Amino acid sequence: MKYPVFATLLAVLLAGCADTPTQDASIEDRALASKDAKKSADAKAAAATATEKAAATQAADSAKVAAKPAEKVQTQGMVAPDTQVKSLDGSQAGAKGADGKPIGASGGQAGAPGQAGVAGQADAVLLDPKNPASPLVKRRILFDYDSAAIRDEYRSLLESHAKYLLKEKAAKVILQGHADERGSREYNLALGQRRSESVYKALSLLGVPDAQLEAVSFGEEKPVAEGHDEEAWMQNRRTEILYEGE
Amino acid sequence: MIFRLIIALYLALSSPLSMAAMTIEIVGGAANMIPVTVLAFEVGAPEAADPAAVISSDLGRSGYFKMVESQGAVSPASPQSLSLGTWKGRGADAVVMGHVLPAANGKVEVRFWLFDAVRQSQLAALSYTTTPAGLRAVSHRIADAIHEQLLGEPGSYSGRIAYILKRPGRYELQVADADSQNAITVTGSPEPLISPAWSPDGQKLAYVSFEDKKPVVYVQNLADGSRRAVARFRGSNSAPAWFPDGKKLAVTLSKDETSQIYFLNLETGEATRFTRGGALDTEPVFSPDGRWMYFTSDRGGTPQIYKASLPGGEVKRVTFEGGYNVSPSLSPDGKTMAFVHRRDGRFHVAVMDLGNGQMQVLTDTVFDESPSFASNGRLILYATLVNGRGVLATVSVDGKVRQRLSQSGDLREPAWEP
Repeated sequence: MKYPVFATLLAVLLAGCADTPTQDASIEDRALASKDAKKSADAKAAAATATEKAAATQAADSAKVAAKPAEKVQTQGMVAPDTQVKSLDGSQAGAKGADGKPIGASGGQAGAPGQAGVAGQADAVLLDPKNPASPLVKRRILFDYDSAAIRDEYRSLLESHAKYLLKEKAAKVILQGHADERGSREYNLALGQRRSESVYKALSLLGVPDAQLEAVSFGEEKPVAEGHDEEAWMQNRRTEILYEGE
Repeated sequence: MIFRLIIALYLALSSPLSMAAMTIEIVGGAANMIPVTVLAFEVGAPEAADPAAVISSDLGRSGYFKMVESQGAVSPASPQSLSLGTWKGRGADAVVMGHVLPAANGKVEVRFWLFDAVRQSQLAALSYTTTPAGLRAVSHRIADAIHEQLLGEPGSYSGRIAYILKRPGRYELQVADADSQNAITVTGSPEPLISPAWSPDGQKLAYVSFEDKKPVVYVQNLADGSRRAVARFRGSNSAPAWFPDGKKLAVTLSKDETSQIYFLNLETGEATRFTRGGALDTEPVFSPDGRWMYFTSDRGGTPQIYKASLPGGEVKRVTFEGGYNVSPSLSPDGKTMAFVHRRDGRFHVAVMDLGNGQMQVLTDTVFDESPSFASNGRLILYATLVNGRGVLATVSVDGKVRQRLSQSGDLREPAWEP
């Protein structure tokens, strides 16, 4: 053996270091997705594809793989350095490196509210959320700093939407609350939620049934103004009214 | 082993990994840095990279070590041939040498030795067997071992971090080594992703995705990429936090009233309401012993951190200083809490000694978010804004050592693997 120190080394190892190595290296307990893809429950074809993908992923810079433009959500397993490594816990794992099934963003497929069959009525145009002349194109309610109180100026806007929703029982709206960028993302999500709930309550008081309303929040994630000043923040503290299907 | 050396506070180190997309910049260092030299490993295996580069980079960027240039010296074939006096003469108090040898089945064996050059004694000698692709991970573990030998506490070089990378029109949940190398995108979406949370065993990530036009909590298995929506109730679903047993999540739901905290059984899908009242309750996190849940609430008029006893739910206020304290994160020993504290309109990472309530602001950056402890409890990872762009940074719990990780993207929401 070229390295006569091996015996010394072993002695040190046996002396009980915290990081005691084993034959197959403690590093391998970190290996992810190290199972033979063929043993997964997936079809053989899927397994073959997965193996190819795993090889491709290993070969390529992962960032490049990830940078493929995609409109849908994609998930990916993490490829272990060694495809021959045995899993230490015996649990089954899926095909390594395989992309998960794309999950489409589930926008509602229901008809747009403007198509709900109000033709012939005198105020149909004015109560069509898609008609630019309608008051219903106004969808944005702004809020003061750290406030979810609805200002007086939005009363007629809310009354128009309530009137439409009362008439079109099939129409539904999602109320999206938003916050400015300052502070914690999760706390801002809760603040945005309070703003959408504030609009929810206002519409409820105008008689709109709960079944036609949902209040959700995007927190600080979807600013309409990109700046980092009060001018931008003022625009971003808001609730948006979205009709289902939009 | 005690070194007493006063070194300049700032350390400029050119990373041997400067080709990588992400680099690390040290913006502060410990007052007493230990001078270490890492000799090039003798690499006798084809296709194997020299671990010395990664080890030097890890130790150098930590702020605890001053790297003494090895001047191209290669490790001798035997540690007996190592001239400790020579390296002591060049200013090194500790010397690392090693070999990479071919092993069976295409694997490699990595051996390293750590010496005290002052006392002329051996401090550690370890061997690892891995694949050539696993060498980088082994190198981080060697850096951990050296750190622990020299400083008496574990290093944090071998853990992983999760974070969100925002690209134009696309959000990616990525997992990378603690040195920000080896980044892998585990989920990509055209809609925002936030709040990644590691399961206690490090095998799953819970996170919030807006792909359904509202916030929904997903749990993803890192091994195969499979995932499922675990909280998709009416209204918003967010702020996942794992129970220490890994079987339940605390989540913030708005299905019954404004944002309140619920406990979600991952097997049955059943959500049980935990907090009550009209105030906002969110950002739950559990103490490691499972006896307390810390969370953010505006029940007192401003957002502050509270703790609720488990299972009873008796609530006590934890933060009092200032009008905005959010995003609690607990150290692995449960004795220290990191959080975001607003002072003069600026958001800083602060820590509180939970034993005596003493608070200390650690950072001088302005828009700090999402503090998260390293598994050794000594470093806190957080996100901040530099020139309008999101970057990740770390600060030691005493505030003395700071690093910044930068990448050509917008990074946020970091979480260190437990």
